[in-house]
Amino acid sequence: MSADTTATPAAGLGWGDAWLIARRDLNARFKGLRLLLICIFLGTAALAAIGTLTASIERELQSSGQELLGGDLEVEVWQRDLSEEELVSLGEYGELSGGYRLQAMASTDDAAAPVELKAVDARWPLFGAFTLADGREPGAPSANDAYLAQGAIDRLDIEVGEEFRVGTLTLRAAGIIENEPDRLSEGFQLGPTVLVAKDVPGNAGLLQPGSLYQSKYRIAFENSSRNPETVEEELTEAYPNAGFDFRTRDRASPGADRFVRQMSDFLTLVGLAALVIAGIGIAGGVSSYLDQRRASIATLKVLGASSRDIVRIYAIQIAVAAIAGSVLGLTAGVLVTPFLGMALEGLLPVESGFVIEPAPLMLAGAYGLLVAFAFAAAPLLRARSFPAMALMRSRIVPLSRDRRALIATGLGLAAICILALSTTDRIMLSASFLLGAGGALILLAALGLSLQWAARKLPRPSNPLLRSALSNIHRPGAPTSALVTALGFGLAAFVLLAAIQSAIDGNIQSRVPQEAPDYFVIDVPPEGEERFYELIRDPFPDAEIRSVPTMRGAILAFGPEDDMQVVAELDEIPDGAWALRGERGITYADTAPPGSRVVDGEWWSPFHDGEPLVSIDKEFADAAGLGVGDMLTIGILGSERQVRIANLREIDWESMGFNFTLVFSRNAIADAPHKLAATIDLPESVDPQQRGELLRAMVREYPSSSVVEVGEVLVQARTLLEQVGVATLAAAAVAVLAGLAVLMGAIAAARAARTYDTVVLRVLGASRRQILGLQLAEYGLIAGALALVALALGSTLGWVIITQLFEFDWLPDWGAVLAVLGLGLAMVLAFALGGSLPLLRAKPAQALREL
Amino acid sequence: MTNPDPHPAAAISARNLTLTLGSSSAPVEILKGIDLDIAHGEVVALLGPSGSGKSSLMAVLSGLERASGGELNVAGQDFAKLDEDGLAAARRGRIGIVLQAFHLLPTMTAAENVATPMELAGSGDAAPRARAELEAVGLGHRIGHYPTQLSGGEQQRVAIARAIAPRPQLIFADEPTGNLDVATGEEIVELLFARRAETGATLLIITHDASLAEKCDRVLTMADGVIVSDTRPALAAAKEAAE
Repeated sequence: MSADTTATPAAGLGWGDAWLIARRDLNARFKGLRLLLICIFLGTAALAAIGTLTASIERELQSSGQELLGGDLEVEVWQRDLSEEELVSLGEYGELSGGYRLQAMASTDDAAAPVELKAVDARWPLFGAFTLADGREPGAPSANDAYLAQGAIDRLDIEVGEEFRVGTLTLRAAGIIENEPDRLSEGFQLGPTVLVAKDVPGNAGLLQPGSLYQSKYRIAFENSSRNPETVEEELTEAYPNAGFDFRTRDRASPGADRFVRQMSDFLTLVGLAALVIAGIGIAGGVSSYLDQRRASIATLKVLGASSRDIVRIYAIQIAVAAIAGSVLGLTAGVLVTPFLGMALEGLLPVESGFVIEPAPLMLAGAYGLLVAFAFAAAPLLRARSFPAMALMRSRIVPLSRDRRALIATGLGLAAICILALSTTDRIMLSASFLLGAGGALILLAALGLSLQWAARKLPRPSNPLLRSALSNIHRPGAPTSALVTALGFGLAAFVLLAAIQSAIDGNIQSRVPQEAPDYFVIDVPPEGEERFYELIRDPFPDAEIRSVPTMRGAILAFGPEDDMQVVAELDEIPDGAWALRGERGITYADTAPPGSRVVDGEWWSPFHDGEPLVSIDKEFADAAGLGVGDMLTIGILGSERQVRIANLREIDWESMGFNFTLVFSRNAIADAPHKLAATIDLPESVDPQQRGELLRAMVREYPSSSVVEVGEVLVQARTLLEQVGVATLAAAAVAVLAGLAVLMGAIAAARAARTYDTVVLRVLGASRRQILGLQLAEYGLIAGALALVALALGSTLGWVIITQLFEFDWLPDWGAVLAVLGLGLAMVLAFALGGSLPLLRAKPAQALREL
Repeated sequence: MTNPDPHPAAAISARNLTLTLGSSSAPVEILKGIDLDIAHGEVVALLGPSGSGKSSLMAVLSGLERASGGELNVAGQDFAKLDEDGLAAARRGRIGIVLQAFHLLPTMTAAENVATPMELAGSGDAAPRARAELEAVGLGHRIGHYPTQLSGGEQQRVAIARAIAPRPQLIFADEPTGNLDVATGEEIVELLFARRAETGATLLIITHDASLAEKCDRVLTMADGVIVSDTRPALAAAKEAAE
């Protein structure tokens, strides 16, 4: 007897009537749909928060780029001012404002402080407002007035109106800085800011040939629609050897654009992870919901509901839960963004307060609904195509696979992938992640099947409880695969969080050196080197001092002698060959510097007077395709010099000493004007007062030199990295929350299937302890098998984030990671056992009635 | 859906009906070639030991399960030609089913439970008809109650109201008193027979209760997947003779 599948069923329920029946189920305050609701809520909230934050940062960087940069385009050069000709060229594009940045020492009779001197002309700031702590907006300082950051005021122990010295000049503290509009674009600070008029550094004797200072000029384009990158290209072409460093309004903050990219990549990954984890939760939620409703579905079918009616009724319910979850998630996402913003404050330009970004919110909502559709389609379609009697028997006989359900799920997943890939700038990253997640899903599904297979093959224990625990894993309809997938991803989220957090901590420990010199001193005149040593060694004979000559130079051309590549003609700087970009610190030496090792070629003799030579960093050489015997053309203070590469060095960048990519032979560059830089390591017995006296003595003796207090810088670096850690943790916590919801949901769903067994075992005389032992054995077995997989999954994703995104070292604290994984496992067992307690506390007869 | 026969000879007509469940490697033959005719308005009791195939026969006759082979015409429709949805449509409004375990929808009130099959059949006056039917089964005061707030007897009354309210041509009842005490069971049977009499529907009732079978027009007995006897109880025979 075969069915006439072309037979047309009578018209089924319209959407209105289907809603009428669906609504009755929903009256029970989403009972049964709560896991679905929570997963969609968490997934959408994560995506909404992440999307809003990223869009808001990018928008802020774009819209406030001019203010952050202080212009449309910035041109920087080291150790010189721009020539008249260069200034005229720049001025043709619009209004020009220029000045200098340099490290300097500020002092009074009783105190001395290393500061960052920012000298600006009267047109500063071209964009935004400069405000003082007292609310005034005075504009650029004039004459010998100076505006000081609070830190400088504190260190010098002066008040507004009092005087202090910088170099050979006496200045008046005219106010305390509240907000510098271009602060973020100034980058990492080596001391508190002292803002002065443009001619102050020169008048104070700080701009001598060879001094390490930076000239910065910003242009506000007359024609605001002009593309800054075109201007950059025109200026590079006009002045190929000027050593200009450019920054445009689109990448206003040094490091910020890189950090935004890293953070965006990270947030994209976290968002996708939350999506995948939430998807698994949603699939579990829908399955367990429809499982709970199996009797109702059967009854509706008995009463004449067609498969289409069933799909409509339950699709409406799931859609209502999905929409409610999405709306709540979007709201939570918007509400939580200011807190994420607070964690990133100072690192990135984030608008304070609530931000509504329609595009990412719509995207998050679309994801939420698509994920709900993709993961709900399979159980929904499976439920519709079974005869009423099969549904009534299905507590014993599981519903079989439905090809159409698989197609619907496949289509839904494909739509999610297309949406994810079409809305990201990081297609490779997202595609890799999605592929990885797919692989992980297959791995976990295979693990689930293997567990079931192994449980089936194991000899049946004589202990009835153990027998039951084992058969719970493999019996028909056992949710082992779903449980394994959910627990696998949930526990992996725990591992991921611990790995990222401990790896960032590890980087803080390793990157911020525990032992570093007390002071860096720059711009020491070479002729005063001997006196400089005396000044320190007289009071502190055990002080360790190391000095090296320093100047700035740029690589203008590189390569084999007969085929050199001009840097200005490169379309793109090769990856890793960052030393080709602009000017950098260079030095000369007679012997190989400490902290580096010659790995190819030979070091020159101490009195080398032949062809000018250079030693270069091996990593840079590899990136630029350079080898021993190749040539470099170097531009130093406007003059060009040809040098041959004598050897390659491996440099230990972690050592907090002097490390130079380019080290020349003395005869190559020693004739160029330059200064010395020195590190000073004082014995531990030296107290703060003695240190203060030494600083003041150095200011007196070398007014044009600057000191950097390494300790202060390290604190700043540590704070910065810790901030990255907190921001990362906050974002990753979303994935963990989603993982937690999935864990709880999966266990709740699996527990529902165990309720019947538990009650029957209780009726048959099993003690509570025996039943708890049974569940402990079952979940312990699954969780134990999953621990290793979760460890591998979480660590792999953590490794990608730490090493590939943040470009940090992979330094997780495995003890902490294992402890957190252990905590996750304990939570799994606690949820599993905790939920059974009410059933176990009840008398068997009472439990039977509740079945 | 096939067009109903406007003048069906019988309410149910089955020829060589078979049902085989289980996997292809381990098939279990449940019904082994049933031939059966039930006239319109007839009240038939189906008896037999557990596992004899009573519930399976009822499931096939009511369209809850598709037969594996044979011919089946129910209320003028060729069930063999209908797929799952066709069978669901055939049940709508034409077949009422009462089950031993009540199977009320737990999230719906008594009135909503009764209204649901009529709503599924697209009836516009489902709500007032549901209320009226609940009044008729003596549950006018329980209209807004949920199944968990009702006793077993009350739940079965709601199930009967749900089966009768759409005025079906056929009513199937699978041990409707099996979950109830004797007194309540008798009340339920009285109610079921009374409501059926008012509607004139054909009734097939599975029971182990010989006294209940005595009240029916006809008693079918099953064993091992076949009908082994088809008799008329004395009361029915006497009634027939008197007529």
